[in-house]
Amino acid sequence: MAYFGHLLLGVGLVVLPIIILVNLKEKPKWLKAVSAITAAISWLLLLPAGLLYLAFYPATKTVIKAGAWPWAHSIIMETKEHWGLLLPVVATVATLLVFDGKEAESKKWWILLLVVSFLIAIFGRIVKMGAGA
Amino acid sequence: MAKFNFYAGASASAILLALLVILSELVEPFKALLASVFGHHWIGKAVLVAIAFLLAGFLLKEKTSLGKISFKDLAWKSSLASLAVIFLFYILEFFF
Repeated sequence: MAYFGHLLLGVGLVVLPIIILVNLKEKPKWLKAVSAITAAISWLLLLPAGLLYLAFYPATKTVIKAGAWPWAHSIIMETKEHWGLLLPVVATVATLLVFDGKEAESKKWWILLLVVSFLIAIFGRIVKMGAGA
Repeated sequence: MAKFNFYAGASASAILLALLVILSELVEPFKALLASVFGHHWIGKAVLVAIAFLLAGFLLKEKTSLGKISFKDLAWKSSLASLAVIFLFYILEFFF
């Protein structure tokens, strides 16, 4: 449950910024609503992320550190788990700029959210590979 | 910036996150303190980063800059720097 929640909300943080960026210039009526949903998802994502990290990851960490790719935990997972803490801040700044009518100014924050979310997803895959999954 | 200075909040959060990551890895008692107060060091960092965002955003709502740098610039540069510093720190920590 937590895994699928984490996965779905994470996909949302990649897909929604793309939708927003594609439509940012046209300023459609739904832009504020979708922006607010994206920011809400970024905060909500901390719950399944925390649950997976605290309850299930310790065993995986032991496997990774004893395996051929110890850097998959020491570099990739450590970076992933901490970059994730900045995502809600980035998404909230982008959203509040949209609410302030500064859509053009919000563009680079949406791009940052998209890039970091995408990298975190790739990092997640590398961590799983490091665990032999 | 009438009600909430989100650029100041983002600046504070980004800088604090990088500091918390480095401090908690280099100073074990600090990591233990975070864990004892919040249940886990990661939860401690999450809570403190969120508090920093809100506190700086509300307390600095009338300010537009920190010295010569605007909060708009500081927020962007500190966010990018924080992400880079965290990644580079763990690379250095792993190899050295």
